[in-house]
Amino acid sequence: MASVSLEGLTKSYGNGVLKAVNDLNLEIEDGEFVVLVGPSGCGKSTALRMIAGLEEISDGGVWIGDQFVNDVHPKDRDVAMVFQNYALYPHMTVFDNIAFALQIAGMPRDEIRRRVEDAARTLELTDYLKRRPGQLSGGQRQRVAMGRAIVRQPAVFLMDEPLSNLDAKLRVQMRAEISKLQRRLGVTTIYVTHDQVEAMTMGDRVALLRDGNLQQVAPPSVMYDEPANMFVAAFLGSPSMNLLWGELGEVSASGTTLKLGGQTLLLTTEKIAGLRRLGAYANRAVVVGIRPEDIYPAADRPGATSKIRSNIDLVEALGSDKVLHFSIDARQALVKSSDSLDELNHGEAGKAHCVARLNARTPLRMGDDVDLVFDTDRLHFFDGETGEAIR
Amino acid sequence: MVTDRRLDSRSLAAHRRTRKLRRNLRGIGLHAILIVLLIAMLYPVIWMVLSSLRPEDEIFGGLGLIPKSWTIENYVKGWQLSGNPTFAAFFINSFIISALAVVGNLISCSMAGYAFARLHFPFKWLWFALMLGTIMLPIHAQMIPQYIFFLKIGWVNTILPLVVPKFLATDAFYIFLMVQFMRSLPAELEQAAVLDGASYWQRYWRIILPLTMPALVTTAVFTFIHTYNDFLGQLIYLTDVKSMTVPVALRLFLDPSGGQSSVGGLFAMVVLSIAPVLGFFLASQRLLTKGIATQGFK
Amino acid sequence: MSEVETSVARPKPVRVRPPPNTSRSSLSRMENRAAYWFLLPWLAGFFFITVVPMLASAYLSFTDYRVLKPPQWVGLQNYVAMTHDRRLFVSVGVTLRYVLISVPLVLIFSLAVAALLNRGLKGLAIYRSLFYVPSLIGASVGIGMLWREVFGARGIFNSFLALFGIKGAGWMSSPGTALYTVIGLNVWTFGAAMVIFLAALRQIPESYYEAASLDGANALQKFRRITLPLLTPVIFFNLVLNTIGAFQSFTQAFVVSGGTGGPVDSTLLYTIYLYQRAFQHLEMGYASAMAWVLLATIAAFTALLFWSSRFWVFYGD
Repeated sequence: MASVSLEGLTKSYGNGVLKAVNDLNLEIEDGEFVVLVGPSGCGKSTALRMIAGLEEISDGGVWIGDQFVNDVHPKDRDVAMVFQNYALYPHMTVFDNIAFALQIAGMPRDEIRRRVEDAARTLELTDYLKRRPGQLSGGQRQRVAMGRAIVRQPAVFLMDEPLSNLDAKLRVQMRAEISKLQRRLGVTTIYVTHDQVEAMTMGDRVALLRDGNLQQVAPPSVMYDEPANMFVAAFLGSPSMNLLWGELGEVSASGTTLKLGGQTLLLTTEKIAGLRRLGAYANRAVVVGIRPEDIYPAADRPGATSKIRSNIDLVEALGSDKVLHFSIDARQALVKSSDSLDELNHGEAGKAHCVARLNARTPLRMGDDVDLVFDTDRLHFFDGETGEAIR
Repeated sequence: MVTDRRLDSRSLAAHRRTRKLRRNLRGIGLHAILIVLLIAMLYPVIWMVLSSLRPEDEIFGGLGLIPKSWTIENYVKGWQLSGNPTFAAFFINSFIISALAVVGNLISCSMAGYAFARLHFPFKWLWFALMLGTIMLPIHAQMIPQYIFFLKIGWVNTILPLVVPKFLATDAFYIFLMVQFMRSLPAELEQAAVLDGASYWQRYWRIILPLTMPALVTTAVFTFIHTYNDFLGQLIYLTDVKSMTVPVALRLFLDPSGGQSSVGGLFAMVVLSIAPVLGFFLASQRLLTKGIATQGFK
Repeated sequence: MSEVETSVARPKPVRVRPPPNTSRSSLSRMENRAAYWFLLPWLAGFFFITVVPMLASAYLSFTDYRVLKPPQWVGLQNYVAMTHDRRLFVSVGVTLRYVLISVPLVLIFSLAVAALLNRGLKGLAIYRSLFYVPSLIGASVGIGMLWREVFGARGIFNSFLALFGIKGAGWMSSPGTALYTVIGLNVWTFGAAMVIFLAALRQIPESYYEAASLDGANALQKFRRITLPLLTPVIFFNLVLNTIGAFQSFTQAFVVSGGTGGPVDSTLLYTIYLYQRAFQHLEMGYASAMAWVLLATIAAFTALLFWSSRFWVFYGD
């Protein structure tokens, strides 16, 4: 077991013109579960493969424990990898698949048998050891891939979208199993996924990449509540955060105002107390973000001071809750190249589409006019030019 | 309403019947064409097989297939045509050469195929292009110096000139076949093996080669058939009766005068000579289709 | 172990990093070395069985070489002599007739039978195997010997003709027909090309034909407008392969004519003449020149076919 450090890790193509991974710095502690997440093509898999040694490192370095491993052959890095398509050897039995690395290492047969059987028991594969991968279900194959990794007792697990080939139900189940297994074995794990639910639920910390650049590293809840920039804000959460252009008023002792199109919200001093840099944006345009679950019907919040009037475009009843699509008189702020932004976001100026997630029993229907309350405690502010969070 | 629908379904059934009939008729017509063509094509071979089992003087008695009397006399006569050595020696020579050629091609072509398909090295494209170029090259431009060289080192009338080149992957077509097949195997398989600590040789021998089984079977079958049937090479290099193979020996049935010494004996030996080819083909058909499918992936 | 503790505000180990790029070169150098080990047999064969003999043969073609004495440099003399060699011209004529007649026939038969087989018939696998059988054995000496008997004066081909009251001659012994029996033997082995066509036909999506049916196309129109254009790359492939093969054809004409290319040189393929000059007359220099002319001819024909493919081969997607 070991820590993993990435320092200035870079992968460039075409003489440095294209950077799949750009100057990635990340310290992963011993036993930690870190999720690398981002839209497809963000460089997360490339980063993982550089750690494994399957991809050349263009610049920067990788340490596993105290060892600088750029020079070290993949097999000597003491890492095990679970591939997206599992890469099980089709011509070998489950036993041989799991045992292969130990056989290569020349371990005594008894010891191999003992370790493979241990791993099989952990993963409930004991009855399948004589089968070939082609005779297994998707979930079983996934477990064989896991077995192949754990049997080696490596210092680091590397997992490249290991659940993306499973159907939705199995994915939920395996998600929990992998988390449990990792906690029990305590092996440092780097887990790549494009699925934000996996990122939120599995990792001790989440590292979000976009176009090869690290956007933020933080525990999932921190990243969700305090996104470092608009991209992080829009990427995490489903439906994703509503992002609107607004204008801050004068910041005074009693607070400030926020104009969203034709409507004005009052922000009291205590509500913006934590945002020290907000003063610099007085009388300027900022991007305001609000998560769908932080919007309420005015009827549920009798004490609220500022309401927003809008018309309901669409109601999606999901059973557990209701997703409300509505338009307000404001300008939409768009995040480019995020794959989790709703289509509805591409509205014309002056008519921003917003989404709210409400209690399933809220009696609202399409076409209704409604007063909504934005929870002003939970507004996010971003610099309109850099996209950075204002705090 | 109800009657209407019943009427409708009855006429529909009739319609279906005529359509089925028409399709069947067309099918029968097609089968008839193909079967007549097949009989015309294979008739000489069938005729030869049956003629080899009838007395010599009955052979040219017309088109009839079924012998009036059966005999294996032709086989006995043909087998000992040249006295000593008999055809036993020729068959053994042919099998040794073919078997060694199969082994040689399997090893050398799969190794070269692995390098071209899955490893990176400088000037790979150039080597690959040269390799492809040799597929189209007629052997005649190399044949003469090769012969002179093998003659000088005393390899004529041994099997070495026919076998050694196979261990040097000179049948580039099979390299191409392997490359095509190995390229289609997922890269992750080998990456997993790298992380499992496998060396290049272990990756080739334990991962890639077992998965290339269909291409290996194809290579084995066609190498066998081509080597076994090959005539020019064996004609040039095997002139001594003791070293002769079946194709070369069959020419012993030709009289210098241009006639045929024993048609019955000839037919018997031709039947025996093509039997291994057909047998190998039939046996491999099942293997070819059973080749390990690349399962284990989504 | 390369760790130096220099704790300032936030304790972070400063690591001594080896100079960059060492990893790339050492790992890929390892792969290069492995690759050349795997290539070693082929490289040896390529140089010693292919390249060196070809160069030697090019050199020999400019010499007078009869094995027993060392080669004598004669310049272009062999090539000049070829222009006066009457038998050589005969053999060129025979070879061209052989190639230009048998290759188109092979393609037509193989495509026609493949198209028939591709119409959803039962027993496709059996038909395919049976049609393939001649290709397996057609190149063997045994079948060549059989052919002599089938098309001999008292052979079963004449017995068959006798059913219709036709009295056939010895097809093998008459100069007018001997070459055509050899061509017939080559066409007999159309199964190999057919298998390739069949595989290609089965790749054409059924939906194209369904769409054409809805557009009102009949079977012939579908074949002409859909099947043929989509098949042109495979037709080209078979054409090139069979042309190159036909130029090098040797065994069958050799066996059928008893090694002479007769009667009256009517089956004297270029390769047979080359063999006679090289291995019967031991004129290795002249035969080498002949081999290079053959090589150039095949190259020219192949180049011509590739050039023409621009006008008729359709590469989709």
